[in-house]
Amino acid sequence: MSPNPQPAPIAATPRGNLYQPLVMKIASAREEAPDVRTLRLEFPDEASRAAFFAKYRVGMFGLYGVPGAGESTFCVASPPTRTGYIECTFRRTGRVTAALRDREVGQAITFRGPYGNCFPIETWKGRNLVFIAGGIALPPLRSVISNVLDRRAEFGKVTILYGARTVADLVYKDELAEWAKRADVNLVTTVDPGGETPDWKGKIGFVPAVLEQAAPGPDNAVALVCGPPIMIKFSLPVLKKLGFPDADTYTTLENRMKCGVGKCGRCNVGSLYVCKDGPVFTVEQLRGMPQGDL
Amino acid sequence: MEVDRLQTDAAELLRSGRARMVIGFRARGDQRVPAFITDPGQTGDLVVDDACRLNPAAYLRKPELKRFRPVALVARPAVMRSLVLLAAESQITDADVLVMAVGPDVYHGVLDLAGTTALLKEKYADLPHDAAMLKRIEELAAMTPQERAAFWAAQFAKCTRCYACRAACPGCYCERCIVEQNKPQWISTAARRHGNYAWNVIRAFHQAGRCTECGACEAACPQGIPLMLLNVRLAGDAQREFKAKAGYDPAAKPVIGTWSEDDGEEFIR
Amino acid sequence: MKVFDATKLSHVAAALQAAGYRVVAPIEDGAVVRLKEWAPGASIRPDVIPVNSAKDVLLPPSEVIGRTTFDGNDFTPQDVPVAAPRTVLLAVRPCDAAAMALLDTVFNWDYKDEFYNARREATTVVPVACTSTDDQCFCTSVGGAPDSKAGADAILRPADGGTKFIVEPITEKGKAMLAAAGGTIADGDAKADPPAAVPRRFDAQAVTAWLADHFEDDLWATVGLGCLGCGACTYACPTCHCFDIQDEATRREGVRLRNWDSCGFGQFTLHASGHNPRALQSARWRNRVMHKFSYIPQRFQMLGCTGCGRCARLCGAGMSMAEVCRLIDEESRKAAAK
Repeated sequence: MSPNPQPAPIAATPRGNLYQPLVMKIASAREEAPDVRTLRLEFPDEASRAAFFAKYRVGMFGLYGVPGAGESTFCVASPPTRTGYIECTFRRTGRVTAALRDREVGQAITFRGPYGNCFPIETWKGRNLVFIAGGIALPPLRSVISNVLDRRAEFGKVTILYGARTVADLVYKDELAEWAKRADVNLVTTVDPGGETPDWKGKIGFVPAVLEQAAPGPDNAVALVCGPPIMIKFSLPVLKKLGFPDADTYTTLENRMKCGVGKCGRCNVGSLYVCKDGPVFTVEQLRGMPQGDL
Repeated sequence: MEVDRLQTDAAELLRSGRARMVIGFRARGDQRVPAFITDPGQTGDLVVDDACRLNPAAYLRKPELKRFRPVALVARPAVMRSLVLLAAESQITDADVLVMAVGPDVYHGVLDLAGTTALLKEKYADLPHDAAMLKRIEELAAMTPQERAAFWAAQFAKCTRCYACRAACPGCYCERCIVEQNKPQWISTAARRHGNYAWNVIRAFHQAGRCTECGACEAACPQGIPLMLLNVRLAGDAQREFKAKAGYDPAAKPVIGTWSEDDGEEFIR
Repeated sequence: MKVFDATKLSHVAAALQAAGYRVVAPIEDGAVVRLKEWAPGASIRPDVIPVNSAKDVLLPPSEVIGRTTFDGNDFTPQDVPVAAPRTVLLAVRPCDAAAMALLDTVFNWDYKDEFYNARREATTVVPVACTSTDDQCFCTSVGGAPDSKAGADAILRPADGGTKFIVEPITEKGKAMLAAAGGTIADGDAKADPPAAVPRRFDAQAVTAWLADHFEDDLWATVGLGCLGCGACTYACPTCHCFDIQDEATRREGVRLRNWDSCGFGQFTLHASGHNPRALQSARWRNRVMHKFSYIPQRFQMLGCTGCGRCARLCGAGMSMAEVCRLIDEESRKAAAK
């Protein structure tokens, strides 16, 4: 086929464009850490807002874009209990995230979503929740934590263990301060050795080591762990040692994405598509995946 | 062509450990496909004939082949030139390759890079091109710029951006090709006219003075685009303007990256 | 029986064109035969497998899926018209028609891709049964046949020693095409030529079974060696559909393009962090084979390959899906014998 077909008569009325994004207004922006930014986004109209929240469950992701630059995939970093807006948190890494970083409050970006599966939060009622996160991977767990805290009475003990390379790299510093103040949340923060500041009051040590020290109990508990691959690699054996079953430990996977809806063929790990079967997986599922495809 | 002697030499290279792998060709029905032989007992599969159009030097950029070095390559003259070019561009050294040099109906034996260079200068200093192709290049040169642009636009319209030309070329070893750069996106990745034109012309220019005229790119193109009409033309220009002929000197400096006071200035009009 | 003279294939094409169809057929194009739009004077070659597949019509190499206008820092998304001219794919291969089942499935899996669907609905698929084959064909190894009607709206059968074609309408679209051809296809009698004998080259079920347990196997290191990482096989393949999404813009307007992509390219799965889950070509080749013979069957109960052989025909580096499957089948039998 000639790669440039001549314009041809339209045979059918377009029935909707699955790739057409929403235009979201940046209501506010916050610099979390060097090169890390959180955007609070508002929907263009009530119909799209309602349609989104009818589908959105915590854990799902979206594609955030700047026309001319492209789209990038991030989780929805705010919970479905806060229905006036959505948030995303990202680090400036490449072309699209650089363009997103340059957008100003009051300007617009595009959004497609929510896509993917969700954390089965409804099955966790009455259970103790242990959140383990590292660095820029706090956002997906932050949406769960916020979801849980918005419905606090429905859940048991909440333990949050969060670490970053340095104090400056900790994201959601305001929320960390709020969580620290709450009597019904056990928050442990840590920075890597050498990452502390003179007035740092939290722990010093890598997340897996601090996790082992903190030793949250596995009874009636669910663990969620998100972080850089190296952190996951060393945290999973600790969780196992502490007695957390793989089927009750959850993580999210990321892969390079383009369509987000299972058609472009690139985000699979083995037979599972991160955009359709994920991004939320249990560690049991993770162990069943071909490790050579991660 | 003493294919038997080549096969025996290949087996001996593997047995002695002088080479850990022999890369050549074997027959699969009517096709000639690359053979990656580590077992001396399989060197009997090696064939050498005109149907072997792929340039095995392209495999040297694959990281998974590094552990098999030194690799012995069955190399026809254009492939020998590619190896000398790769040496000149610091991509390979004597420790990495041995050359099983073949010419039209002759097997020259196992050579190192210095021996290969000497052989090229002695016996293959002037490798003739197909007369019909040379005539076509002349016809193109005689066209007006508009006619020539129209000719190439029609050819590049067929391009689907599969990058088989790039994959087949031993000179295309950039870890991140210019078309994969996106800050900014210098060349459109879409299989459309403007991007196709840019891609093909830029690849030809990135090979100017480096192309060893092996023809593997044209052979690889699934759309039948006559890439050699462009590459051979530019190789001729490099030779005429800068006395540069790729692949004959392992110490040669790159044409495009080098300036000399003697460089001609006729192109400045 | 509806019959026409084999030498009058262009007349049929002309009649269909006059009736408003865009006719896409295997056309002589320089040194190759290519599936492209027919124009009067073009030579249709139903006897040669074209270098490209019918996928090109349903999923073009590059198309616009988004359009935006810019005004300073503001932007406004625009509508995207879908170009879906009424088309007849005339004398394509049965393996190309059979491949459409997978494309239909993927492009409607939970989310409907209306760009694809509009073109699919506008296309009438008329394969010609194969009465000859070559060394690369292997439809019979993957559940297909040289005269398969899978995905066809009508089928052409070479008859009377290749001097005639019998036209067998199958669906409403096929009947409409037949009617549109008017007098160029008339009532008559002819004896269909026997379909080509395509020898079975491997046991696809054995391959699928082996793949389930052999993600880590030495075989991948060796079979992947020849691959130089271009996209020629994936682009020519009638079932491959991986794509990239790219934005291109000026200060005034921009488009979002859906372009063909290939899992064989080095950067296909590259993360922004620099991590690449499939950093070596052997891993990319493994994914390709797994996708076609393991992941797609698991999810959609069909193979991701219809045995057209284009990948092997055009790969200058000797890669061949059938050859890899044959090797796997052999491995699997060797293991069973132990």
